[in-house]
Amino acid sequence: MESNYRQYWEDMPCYLSVHDREFRIVDGNRLFRSDFGDRIGEYCYQVYKGVEEVCPDCPVKLTFEDGHSHGSEQALTTRHGDRVSVMVHTTPIRDEAGEIVAVMEMHTDIGEIKRLQNLLEQSQRRLAQLFEEVPCYITVQGPDHVIQHANRKFRDTFGPAVGDYCYRVYKHREEQCLVCPSVKTLADGKTREHEEVMVSLDGEKFNMLVTTAPLRDADGKPEAVIKMSIDITQIRRLQSQLASIGLLVGSISHGIKGLLTGLDGGIYLVNSGFQKDNPQRVTKGWEMVQRNVDKIRSMVLDILYYAKDRDLTIADVDVGALVAEIRELMTRKAEDFDIRLDVQVAPDVGTIQGDQSAIRAALVNILENSLEACQVDRHKSGHWVRFRARRASPWMVFEIEDNGIGMDRETREKIFSLFFSSKGVKGTGLGLFISNKIVDKHGGTIAVTSEPGRGTRFLVRLPLEARPSTHPGTV
Amino acid sequence: MGNRILVIDDDIDTADYLSCFLEDHGYQVRVAGDATTALSTLQTYSPDIILLDVLMPGRSGLDLLVTLRRDPRWENIRLVVITGNDQILQDDCQSYLGTHHGVRGPDALLGKPIDRKTLLAILERLGQLEERSTSGGA
Repeated sequence: MESNYRQYWEDMPCYLSVHDREFRIVDGNRLFRSDFGDRIGEYCYQVYKGVEEVCPDCPVKLTFEDGHSHGSEQALTTRHGDRVSVMVHTTPIRDEAGEIVAVMEMHTDIGEIKRLQNLLEQSQRRLAQLFEEVPCYITVQGPDHVIQHANRKFRDTFGPAVGDYCYRVYKHREEQCLVCPSVKTLADGKTREHEEVMVSLDGEKFNMLVTTAPLRDADGKPEAVIKMSIDITQIRRLQSQLASIGLLVGSISHGIKGLLTGLDGGIYLVNSGFQKDNPQRVTKGWEMVQRNVDKIRSMVLDILYYAKDRDLTIADVDVGALVAEIRELMTRKAEDFDIRLDVQVAPDVGTIQGDQSAIRAALVNILENSLEACQVDRHKSGHWVRFRARRASPWMVFEIEDNGIGMDRETREKIFSLFFSSKGVKGTGLGLFISNKIVDKHGGTIAVTSEPGRGTRFLVRLPLEARPSTHPGTV
Repeated sequence: MGNRILVIDDDIDTADYLSCFLEDHGYQVRVAGDATTALSTLQTYSPDIILLDVLMPGRSGLDLLVTLRRDPRWENIRLVVITGNDQILQDDCQSYLGTHHGVRGPDALLGKPIDRKTLLAILERLGQLEERSTSGGA
């Protein structure tokens, strides 16, 4: 029987050794001898670790002290120089009187477990790093809508977020959203995509493409939702610009066709007037050509103003001189259509601070609009356009009034919209949009009152002292 | 027959041009600058053909077309839509009006800038149709 136990002792697939109170090894099994040599009688700390003192956390020592089993993780060095990670367990060996006379120590090789543990830790570190450093915005939230995790990019842009409700962080709402993709993902485990506009800590707006995906428990049931947001602001801006360019091209194309018709008509009248020896017709045709050339020039200027992002060049502007310049520009156009242009400048107008060429373009566009409103009005004669400038501190007020065709409410509300035109062939929908932009850039306003059949009044107020608007946009 | 024309266009240059050109070719022409004026003109002047601009202040040309088509007094007038709007030319105008208003669309479409030969050909064709329908009804 004893020889059987001895056999089991020898064959155990771990290191077994017995230690006396002096920490000398008094016995060891085959695997011990194989890896550490026949070192019976030597100190265990020398044999196992190659050190000259008892290890501070020696489980053998503890077992001698308290009679209990102890266990710990240790690293041993074999006689071949290999380091072996082991789990050590000790147990006391007592004599017949119950006194501890020796301690048996069992070392189980946990090298494979340690290797896997290291791999796991490394993998976890990599995953954590991936979560933190991935160049998009990620949060994880539970069914209670509380954000459990947020990656670095998200925290840097939108604040700490963790512990807060997703609807507060994402939408700045105080209650759950009516349609919540996260709730749907939690319910059916399906991924979803939607677009959101998010506002960063410093007030910047982001167009986000948000994807929700389920995180499942051990049973495969969704227990949390991961939300991954990709910043598509640039794409949306480009799309918007492309759409604007498309509209611009369509609008310009339409405008040019109308102007070509006018030019073609003028040329026809000139040619046929010569053939018929009709000087009146020649003059009429030539005027038509001139008018349409002017319109093309005006359209090109509008397009340039729209296309070029230019900053205002602020300087003192002599309002009297500016109005005189504009009157000279507009008088011939008014006379062509028998429209009386009445210009009044208050004697004390003085100067304002602003961009002279931009203000001139803004006022000319409005005046052209007024002249055209008279031109298309066939229901009354005696058309007039009044252009007045007066100082009403802290504003310079320009008033442009006509007794033309007037506008209904819908037209009135849209006149400053890009590419909106009520003027058939003549309008590109750029003129008043640009006027409004210029005035807005100066920190001014345009008020419009109008009635169909009666006429329209534009009240342009520009600050006397430059205080450019902070609104982004192109002038 | 077929030589009385009403030009409806808010652009004075285009209206003047068409008026001179068509009169040079033997047509009798009246001009209206918007839909309201056109309807008023039609009370006293019965054109065989209307040349109709689309984008005008107030009521659009297509809106006026629907009114004309629905009124028995003007249902036989031939309508030619003239426009620089690609969308109107590209779209099937007949289908647009059929879907939206259930009326017959224009008898012809002409793009801007106006090709004078094409315009004359359209007017001649529509004039012949007018003659045929008149002689058929006699």
